[in-house]
Amino acid sequence: MRTFRRTGSGLRGWVLSALVLACAAGHAADKAADKPADKGATVLPRESTEAAIFRGGLVYANYCVTCHGFNADGNGRAARLYNPRPANLRMSDKNDAYIGLIIRKGGEALGRSQFMPIWGDELTDEQIKDVVTYVRSINVRPKD
Amino acid sequence: MNHSKIAAACLMGLFALAGQALAAEYTVGQKSKAFTVKKLSVKVGDSVKFINEDPFTHNVFSLSDAKSFDLGSTGQGGFKNIVFDKPGTIEVECAVHPEMKMVVEVTK
Repeated sequence: MRTFRRTGSGLRGWVLSALVLACAAGHAADKAADKPADKGATVLPRESTEAAIFRGGLVYANYCVTCHGFNADGNGRAARLYNPRPANLRMSDKNDAYIGLIIRKGGEALGRSQFMPIWGDELTDEQIKDVVTYVRSINVRPKD
Repeated sequence: MNHSKIAAACLMGLFALAGQALAAEYTVGQKSKAFTVKKLSVKVGDSVKFINEDPFTHNVFSLSDAKSFDLGSTGQGGFKNIVFDKPGTIEVECAVHPEMKMVVEVTK
C-alpha cells in the first residue's frame, strides 16, 4: 500500500496517532497471547471502495481540511478568509468528474474561487481519485 | 486655502513620501517545499515579497489575529507582495503544503 508523504498536526496527526496506538495495543495483545500479529487481521483489498475512502480521508485530512473543515461542510479554520466561502462538500451537487477536475486544476480554471489551489502538481492521480471517492462517501445531499 | 494650510498639506505629503521611501521590501522564497526564511523581523509598513522558486504551485496565507490574508496561488517564478501594516506576530503558511510555515514579527 502507498505510504503517505508526511505526518503532521491536527486531524491527520490524531488519525496517525490513533493508528499507531491501535497497532501498539494490538501488538502487545498478540505478544501476550503468543500469536502472530497478523492472525485474524482484516486487510481491505487495495482496489476496494472502502480502501479508497480510507486513503482519501487521510489525504483530505492533510490537504483539504484547512478550508473545507473536519466535517467537509466548508467551515475550515481558513474559511473566514473567503467570500464565497469554501464549498460544503457534504451537500455538493457535482459529479465525480467535476470534483476530480476542480481538485486537479484548481477553482479558477473552472470559473470558481481562485483560492481553491491547483492540486494536480501535489497529489498523485490515485490520491485525487481517492479524495473524490471519500467526498462522495460523505455526501448527504438528497437525490433529485 | 491660506498659506499655512498649503504648507501643512505639503509637509504631510513629504512625511508620507518619506515613510514610503523608508519602508523596506524583504524577499522570502518558497523552495523545496519550505520557506527560505523561518523567522523574519520587519517594521510596520515594510513589505514582503514571496517568490515561488519551485517548479510547482505554492500558496501564501495567514490566519493570525494580527493579519489574516490569502495571497492565492503562484506557479514557478510567480510572486506575491504584502505590506505589514500592523504590529504583531504573523504565522505564514502554504495551503498546498501544510508543513510549510514561517513567522513574520512586525514591530513599530
